[in-house]
Amino acid sequence: MKIKVSFILNGLQVTVETEAHRRLLDLLRDDLNLTGTKEGCAIGECGACTVVMNKLAVNSCLVLAGQIDGAEIITIEGLMKNGALHSLQQKFIEKGAVQCGFCTPGMIMSAYALLLSNKNPDEEEIKEAIAGNLCRCTGYKQIIEAIADSEI
Amino acid sequence: MIPELEIIKPFSLEEAVDFLNDHPAEARIIAGGTDIIPGLMQGSKRFTGIKYLVDLQQIDELKEIIADSENITIGALLTFSQMINNDSLKNNFPLLVKSASTVGSVQIRNRATVAGNFINNAPCADSVPPLLVYNAKIKLLGVNGNYEMPLSDFLIKPYFTRLKTGEIVTQIILPKPKKEFIGDFYKLGRRRGVAISRITLAALIQIEDNKLGEIRLASGAVSPIGMRFFDLEQKYSGSVISDKLLKNISSDLGKEILKVTGLRWSSEYKVPVTQQAMYLLLERICSAHKQVK
Repeated sequence: MKIKVSFILNGLQVTVETEAHRRLLDLLRDDLNLTGTKEGCAIGECGACTVVMNKLAVNSCLVLAGQIDGAEIITIEGLMKNGALHSLQQKFIEKGAVQCGFCTPGMIMSAYALLLSNKNPDEEEIKEAIAGNLCRCTGYKQIIEAIADSEI
Repeated sequence: MIPELEIIKPFSLEEAVDFLNDHPAEARIIAGGTDIIPGLMQGSKRFTGIKYLVDLQQIDELKEIIADSENITIGALLTFSQMINNDSLKNNFPLLVKSASTVGSVQIRNRATVAGNFINNAPCADSVPPLLVYNAKIKLLGVNGNYEMPLSDFLIKPYFTRLKTGEIVTQIILPKPKKEFIGDFYKLGRRRGVAISRITLAALIQIEDNKLGEIRLASGAVSPIGMRFFDLEQKYSGSVISDKLLKNISSDLGKEILKVTGLRWSSEYKVPVTQQAMYLLLERICSAHKQVK
């Protein structure tokens, strides 16, 4: 059975018709063509599908479409403003924090949620914020440096 | 794939209880969803036949924290992140907040609820041993109204509790321990982040002069479910503190766990590691007590 869901996505009000049991991840990727959000483990362990929901980092594989009515959701596509990359995106490039790139959107969204509540996080706080995001290429050092250098 | 189902969003507890009772076999409560959604995704037998998920997020009274002189009562929908950020919980129930901060990752803690942790009742539920040593009680609502139960009675065996069909856990009541109580929480996982516990221990001890008053000990992961050690607590209450005493308590704890689990392939290392971990925990508590004095 299809339901109507209205929410704010990257600053714009959207209404979609979908099934309640669809994952937010699938809604974003398949219905709304926002493929920046990645599917990794699909059980809430790898963080590749992280988006910011009501100012908090969440795994979009663990949120169902029937739960998001009225929510405010930001994906990696929502960070660029007026054609300019967000500071986090810019710093990830500068610091070489991207290799294969698969974890990057989730990593940046976790970092974005951190910066929303803490403008000057220390290294431990950064590590805690991205502990739920697995990267198998960079070894994390460059990612931590990029986040430390970013501003919101 | 997640099977086709509907999400029901009641505005009141009464509405939720009515719906659950009208659909006893097909409706299940969803709180944070961090157990149920991966369970559905993986086709877990525990979640088959569900046609309705009853999402309680619109019921604000389930998110309240109420403090009085004796208790802090938390709504069943409180997430681990909300718990970690609450000063009054941090001050009064530091073991619980410490365990909350070791659950999953930020993303999981932003969704997962404390009540969901013990209603799911996995052996490794991190917050259960601290809740048990704080003598947590829970409040339930069913068709016949509200009632309370100690958490230790509620938990039966892995993934089973006394929650009846059509009932909702609405609140967790945490009695504030007297100020002589001092304690700590220990977790061993395979890594620090996103780690499923292999051993969890909680100890809360009343120390008076050089003697142990009331002792409360609990384990998780290494026991089939989170559990207290009431016999052991009785046996050592009133003892004079010494290194030998702490070793004896820890040694007995290992033997008690072995009695519950039976001999397993992992017992050969898990029992001594658990004993040593408990010894270090008790030692840390006793030396922290000395420093406070």
